[in-house]
Amino acid sequence: MNGASVVDADVGVVGAGPGGLAAAARLAAGGLSVVVLDEGAGAGGQIFRQLPPGAARPAADHEPPSHASGHALLAAFAASGATLQPLATVWDARPGRLWFEQHGASRLLRCRRIVLATGAHDRCLPFPGWTLPGVLTAGALQVMVRGFAVPPGRRALVAGSGPLLLPTVTALRQAGVQVVAALEASPRRRLWRALPGVLGHAGRRREALWYARQLWRAGVRLQWGCTVFACEGDGRVERAVIGRVDAEGRPRRDTARTIEVDVVGAGFGLVPSIELGLHLGCAARFDAGRGGHCLVVDADQRTTVDGVHAVGEACGIGGAEVAAAEGEAAAAAILRDLRGGPAPAGAAQRAAAERRAADRLLGAFAPLPGLAELATPETIVCRCEDVTLHQARAAAGLHGTSLRAIKVGCRAGMGPCQGRICGPFLQALAGGEPGRPMDLPVVRVPLKPVRTDTLLQAPPG
Amino acid sequence: MNGDRRASVGFTFAGRAVEARAGDTVAMALWRLGERTLRHSSRDGAPRAVFCNMGVCYECLCRVDGAVVRACTTLVQDGMRVEPGGRP
Ligand SMILES: Cc1cc2nc3c(=O)[nH]c(=O)nc-3n(C[C@H](O)[C@H](O)[C@H](O)COP(=O)(O)OP(=O)(O)OC[C@H]3O[C@@H](n4cnc5c(N)ncnc54)[C@H](O)[C@@H]3O)c2cc1C
Ligand code: FES
Repeated sequence: MNGASVVDADVGVVGAGPGGLAAAARLAAGGLSVVVLDEGAGAGGQIFRQLPPGAARPAADHEPPSHASGHALLAAFAASGATLQPLATVWDARPGRLWFEQHGASRLLRCRRIVLATGAHDRCLPFPGWTLPGVLTAGALQVMVRGFAVPPGRRALVAGSGPLLLPTVTALRQAGVQVVAALEASPRRRLWRALPGVLGHAGRRREALWYARQLWRAGVRLQWGCTVFACEGDGRVERAVIGRVDAEGRPRRDTARTIEVDVVGAGFGLVPSIELGLHLGCAARFDAGRGGHCLVVDADQRTTVDGVHAVGEACGIGGAEVAAAEGEAAAAAILRDLRGGPAPAGAAQRAAAERRAADRLLGAFAPLPGLAELATPETIVCRCEDVTLHQARAAAGLHGTSLRAIKVGCRAGMGPCQGRICGPFLQALAGGEPGRPMDLPVVRVPLKPVRTDTLLQAPPG
Repeated sequence: MNGDRRASVGFTFAGRAVEARAGDTVAMALWRLGERTLRHSSRDGAPRAVFCNMGVCYECLCRVDGAVVRACTTLVQDGMRVEPGGRP
């Protein structure tokens, strides 16, 4: 099956993170044939990222308690009989059909059900100097250390918002990088709002204590109400300007000070990766607490399109426990549909309970609108097309405040990233007045750029 | 690197012969070597480098054996010719 251009399975899963793995393992154990497609080189997704075989582990190789469930999930998946197709980029789809590129070949997976477990990516915000080499997303630094054991630099700044700043700091420390500053933009009182969501969930409580201990040991103190104002340097980042923000996230320029760093990780939360779902025709809705536009699903993780389920971060940011529980719920529903038999016991209820607990925690880190003021008129807001804030504002003024109008006016969001990076910022710029629904991202095929030959040689489906 | 049991892989970057470890992406192999800049902005020629490291942002576009690819999702292979990137 490995080399054939067309592959058949009962269920096609996109994404080998906790959501996709949990769904695939349960489906395969239930007797269905399952193929999982993932762009990465191995199973695990963002949180349980594995080093390449044979790679040296970082000097200090500690894992947070949650990773025990990751190992269990990977083992269950390996034993289940589900097949992983790694380095497989899905670029087009319709219900029952997933077109992907793998090792330069154009391939098609035909299946009766699709499970979307496409995860999330960092929420990015433009600030002066964010295009300098050495300024990366917080997630990028985690991938570097945990996925490849590459030390990102020597002196790091971590800035942004939300729980993911913590694994970023610990990953840097494991790689021997000095964390000069770790800045959480939210005001400290949000910690008290988040606390019930942490303390009320045994897994999260253990996890939070583990991170608190790691930071304390490393002598790194999370500074609340602070962020990065700008990065500077000649050809690569050499300095960062940091300072305090007010409760809305607006920079207080009078508090600015400069620190010397050679690498910066900035992450202002996560955004659900829903492009594949949108392309399939699935409905999405905006939920600021869950990171932006999320795929709409019912209790059995069914999207609004027949035969397409969605689980995990694609249905709203919630973390690994939510993803795995929703994967199980989707699998239970699909098994019932395709194999008949009694209704599954409790999978949907468990997923709903995990989701409620995550909403309580993450709601405390909803995006701060004032952080949009970090960008100055000359700051590039669309990195692909090199559009500045000044140009984007002019386009919004001329062509009307909608995402589409801004795109037509100045090409912002028209580059190869399809607005995945600039989208949240441009949506806010276009949204303007409160209460107006955020514009949906616009998607086009190929969903990810692939070779021309892949398009031309796509197996007919 | 100490304890690394991976095979060594040779490729060229901007015409220069360099060495990497099997299993690294082009982006990570170059980062290890201290090479940050992977392309230049089409507007002002400013250097650009890996940003998301997970295939989302396309800042790392390079030319590998003539084809435009994301350096952060492309594994290094023996004999690869990598050129700093343009645009698709
Ligand atoms: C960089 C990063 C680090 C994180 N670290 C932590 C952490 O330390 N602790 C924590 O609790 N949470 C962490 N998270 C949050 C994390 O998203 C969740 O905890 C968990 O991984 C979500 O699982 P998932 O199955 O929904 O998606 P993911 O684990 O994100 O998996 C999605 C998978 O889908 C694949 N994919 C997407 N689109 C396509 C396509 N078109 N074709 C092929 N494959 C595709 C991706 O390659 C990816 O492997 C992190 C998130 C990110 C982005
Ligand atoms: S660094 Fe973002 S796509 Fe490669």
